[in-house]
Amino acid sequence: MLDIIINIAKKEFMDNIRNKWIIIITILFASLTLLASYAGSIYSEGWQDLGATMSIISGLVNFLITIIALILGYSAIIGEIEKGSMSSLLSLPAKRLEIVLGKFFGLGMVLTSTILIGFGIAGIIIGLNVPNVNYVEYLIFIGLTVLVGLVFLNIGIFLSCLSKKRSTAMGGAIFVFFLFTIIWQFIVFALLNIANSFNVENTALSDWYFALNFFNPLEAYGYLLSLNISSIAAQQIELFLGGYPSFLNTTNLIVTLFLWLSIPLVLAYWLFKNKDI
Amino acid sequence: MKKNIKCPYCGNQIEIEDERGDKKYITCPICNKKGVYTFKDISSLKEDFDENSIITVKKLTKTYSDKKAVDNISFSVKKGEIFGFLGPNGAGKTTTIKSILGLIKADSGEIEINGFNIRKSEKNAKKNIGYLPEKVAFYDNLTALQNLLFYAKIKKVSKEECFSLLEEFGLGDVINKKVGKFSKGMVQRLGMIRAIMGNPPILILDEPSSGLDPRGAIQIRNKIREMNQNGATVFVSSHILSEIQEICDRVGIINKGVLVAKDTVEALSKKLNLKPKLSIELEKISDEITKSINNIKGIDKVEVKEKTINVICDSETKAKVILAIAKAGGNILNLQTQEPSLEEVFIRYTGGEV
Repeated sequence: MLDIIINIAKKEFMDNIRNKWIIIITILFASLTLLASYAGSIYSEGWQDLGATMSIISGLVNFLITIIALILGYSAIIGEIEKGSMSSLLSLPAKRLEIVLGKFFGLGMVLTSTILIGFGIAGIIIGLNVPNVNYVEYLIFIGLTVLVGLVFLNIGIFLSCLSKKRSTAMGGAIFVFFLFTIIWQFIVFALLNIANSFNVENTALSDWYFALNFFNPLEAYGYLLSLNISSIAAQQIELFLGGYPSFLNTTNLIVTLFLWLSIPLVLAYWLFKNKDI
Repeated sequence: MKKNIKCPYCGNQIEIEDERGDKKYITCPICNKKGVYTFKDISSLKEDFDENSIITVKKLTKTYSDKKAVDNISFSVKKGEIFGFLGPNGAGKTTTIKSILGLIKADSGEIEINGFNIRKSEKNAKKNIGYLPEKVAFYDNLTALQNLLFYAKIKKVSKEECFSLLEEFGLGDVINKKVGKFSKGMVQRLGMIRAIMGNPPILILDEPSSGLDPRGAIQIRNKIREMNQNGATVFVSSHILSEIQEICDRVGIINKGVLVAKDTVEALSKKLNLKPKLSIELEKISDEITKSINNIKGIDKVEVKEKTINVICDSETKAKVILAIAKAGGNILNLQTQEPSLEEVFIRYTGGEV
């Protein structure tokens, strides 16, 4: 079983690492990180340290990593079915579980490589230009970014198994992207406005506001960053007057992200298992 | 199943529906006459499933949103034979093939591959199969060799065999070229390599000559024969009926989801009473010659066109025709026999005449 998963993962990696869109987004990602570090701060000029860079680019991650992960995921299964290569793969002694896991690990490696290349290049260059860099926090930042990327990869794979057409899966991926990056916040903020009679300025945010955001993987990622990375925490304190409620701690947030990681993959396998090719 | 029948009294068209083998009592809504219609029982095509059967399909049914793509079909493919699977577009060929491969879940029915149930022992069943799909596809960003090695690893086939097959199929010079840049014919040949690597005991080939030039098609046909001579059983579906007739031991014909025929082409022709056509070119055709031919028993039709006589007759009557011409003083210049073609059989079975 393991050898087949590794073989499929390897193939996925080799096939997708040459995908021109992934290459373009990786270059864009690394360039934007460098740019954010050099010129992104409105307070000062020249090279920022890694902490400042992280706080600037964490917003960028929300968009770019989500897009890369969904691009990789949404066509993983349905793309192969539509193209015709899935029927050949399934005619071999490979089980559907092995295929789903192989794809997850292979595409996960592509995503991780993209993040490592993007942040790695920026990290090295910044490190060469700025003294006293906090690499531990930078590694935590990279690790959490990989985790949230994998969450969206699995949501993409789930959509890929759910849809009957590649175009439908793509539509679903676009919807998921807007749901978690814009619509979710918009709805939660609208509810907050209504609850506070449109007077939210200078009032402490209610627990339910955080509870609702807690279930958005991108928000969970954001909270994790502000709880664990000092430069981002410094920014957040200015934004939230009352601080975070107690349930919004690192353990709970990590568990939430791991649930987001595993549930879509389990559902994806279940759908794929019962799918006619 | 649904059937449109004509009232024998008033000619009114009536649509009736029932199961195969059932009798339907009908009252014509126009003339009020009563009658009975018996739906044809295809179970007369029952298969002798035995230890020689390497693929067995029993009572397979698959429905797609109320439409039965495959309706209770049963057949078996014998060890060592080349079995041709034919049918018009949308007849249920692909659904049957996909069910055999476990790619789709049938509503009911059992499928065994070399003794292994495709659903219960999926991996063991698939170890016996080499499959060439109708739409051959690879990973475009990978080279021919990378693609092949990926499949070879799952099939546990050696690298050396991959190289040797690539050479044999004329792809030795392009092993490091991305498959995305291959022509359709090259992809088809690579697909054939993927199917036959590891010498599987069963080959399932869907349109094996698709996209190939005549030389490529001949090469594939020869390879199918070679694999068969080496013991492989071949299940092949093709629209090129002459190809099927040339290489297959038996054929199965599916129409509207129902297996309407299965046997050798010769036996099916016989069942349909299709007879060979004898074309005899003579130096001169006299009345005596045509008269003597017409007097022979077993002659269906005699047709004279300039200096050629076309005779449709039983196989065993052919010699008598030639003898009669010689006796009547005819001088034969040329002689040709046209056996009933699979095309005729196919049209008769799928065109509603049977």
